[in-house]
Amino acid sequence: MIQTLLYGLTIGAILYFFAIGLSITFGTMQIINFAHAMVYALGVYFLISFMPMVQGSFPLATVFAIVAVIPVAYLMERFIIRRLYGESLDYAMIATYALLLIGTDVIKFIWGNTPQPISDPIGVSFQLFGIDIPMYRAVVVLLAVVVFVGLRLFFTKSIVGKIVVAALEDTEGVRCLGINVDKYFSMVFILGSALAVLGGILYAPIATAEPYMGHDILLIAFAVVIVGGMGNLTGTFVSAFLLGMVLAITGRYWSQAADTMVFVVMAAVLIFRRSDA
Amino acid sequence: MSNLNSNSTLSGVTATKRITIYRDMVLIAAGFFALSPLLAMHRVTDFMIFCIFVMSFDLLYGYMGRLSFGQMLYLGTGVYVSTLFSLHFSPNPILSLMAGVVGGAIVAGILGLIVVGLDGASFALTNLAFNQVGFFLIGSAFQKVTHGEDGISAGVEPWGFLDFANEYVAFGFVLLCLLLTFYVLRILTSSPYGIVIRSIKENESRVKFLGYNTFFYKWLTFVLAGAFAALAGTLYTLYVGFVSPTFIGPLNNVEVIFAALIGGAGNLFGALIGGILFMTMKDTLSTHIPQWEWVLGVLLLVIVFWLRGGVTGLIRTIYNYGKEKMAKRAAVEVEKG
Repeated sequence: MIQTLLYGLTIGAILYFFAIGLSITFGTMQIINFAHAMVYALGVYFLISFMPMVQGSFPLATVFAIVAVIPVAYLMERFIIRRLYGESLDYAMIATYALLLIGTDVIKFIWGNTPQPISDPIGVSFQLFGIDIPMYRAVVVLLAVVVFVGLRLFFTKSIVGKIVVAALEDTEGVRCLGINVDKYFSMVFILGSALAVLGGILYAPIATAEPYMGHDILLIAFAVVIVGGMGNLTGTFVSAFLLGMVLAITGRYWSQAADTMVFVVMAAVLIFRRSDA
Repeated sequence: MSNLNSNSTLSGVTATKRITIYRDMVLIAAGFFALSPLLAMHRVTDFMIFCIFVMSFDLLYGYMGRLSFGQMLYLGTGVYVSTLFSLHFSPNPILSLMAGVVGGAIVAGILGLIVVGLDGASFALTNLAFNQVGFFLIGSAFQKVTHGEDGISAGVEPWGFLDFANEYVAFGFVLLCLLLTFYVLRILTSSPYGIVIRSIKENESRVKFLGYNTFFYKWLTFVLAGAFAALAGTLYTLYVGFVSPTFIGPLNNVEVIFAALIGGAGNLFGALIGGILFMTMKDTLSTHIPQWEWVLGVLLLVIVFWLRGGVTGLIRTIYNYGKEKMAKRAAVEVEKG
């Protein structure tokens, strides 16, 4: 049971990394970004390519992969997403979905179709209440908490974060202060993409790397964003761990039903939320 | 949208309007007949079923402005309800068809109560989520009944002259269903009901202020779209005879979205043209390039950035441009005397 709970926490952490970018993009730009799943998978494949260059050092390869994804995210933001600001939501959704289709095929073209396993970079486990717990998973959960605290500080203390939070509330108002909102949105978009890559890389040793890995998590991450409230950063954190738990506990008894259970929770939340709106 | 008011009266559809509808239906039938020697007849039948599905999606997206990423759920419901009905209750094709359509409408009616109150992103994604749930129920949870990934053969048997093994009968029947769908949707979208749903697309709160119960209108549209999607699904059951969870796969939603967009959303002709274009593209590309989804992606980007009206929009722009030029030339000639 403890192992299930720990698994839930780990999945929750990964979901948090992924969903935070989606949530920010939606909150600031009103755009549902399907291409987030592409960035997520791309980061993992970059890691696979960089691993041999840095003598198999996982943390170093992770840093390189994140750095390598930044220009991709920038180009996407600059040439596709920025052109769709303030346009109808449908077109933005369709355009980012198109990016996901293209990106997935590019990944298949470069790295092939077959799933590639990535070994546990720590490979040590420790004992807790007489149960073996892989150190790696504990590190992932810890990292999520660190990122959460870091983001909180970023959004409450730093000037960039404050501008973004203000713009989440009232984009026009911030623009009227003479602040170039687009520039800050662009920064936050890249930050979100980098966190998604981090999530993907941390998840890869638990599962495997395959071109459609982003598709699988995307839907669940959308559920996280909807349950947590779009653009609500603390809500995203809480709902990521909550739905991670739902996934783990359902998966323990009936693995194929895990995803479905998440959507059932989401539907329930939607129904109840509407009643008080 | 310019003829929104001129062609419709409060009582519904005028006589001239009705004549243009019949003319359009003859044109469509002629078009599909003309296509069948070019491609093969069985492929055209396939195309027509897909076109019905695209029209059902277009009612929801093109006319009411609600983008759903989960329309496959209703197609799949039609497919599986009719298949299971034919196996367990009656092999009669017409009864199976009706069962499938009613099943799709019921599922849409229940889920619609939850979904319709949402807007924009939540609407699209919740539909996608429900589609995923349906896929799971068909593919895994009720594996004993549906045979999961292995698929299942329908138990439909010929009834009178309705034998779907006969190419011509299948073609005729599907064409009939397509024309019926076109007729019903055409009448509906140009009726007062149609004006209300188009107005919901433009500005829902204003429609609400006018005293319309927008929730009901949206729900009704959702159910209609679900029922017509289920009709397309049952036709797949009758025609293909073998069904598998790909008919309810959430990843296939992009196909119908793409078809509606490339043809031109909010326009039944656009839906038909889009359906044919997409199917032709899929057939030719998938035989030449093993990975062809990126082509779909690139074309979608082209549509979003430069070709919002789709093919029908493009034709209309060219036509209007030509008309303007002609008018100018005529004006110049008049001036010259």
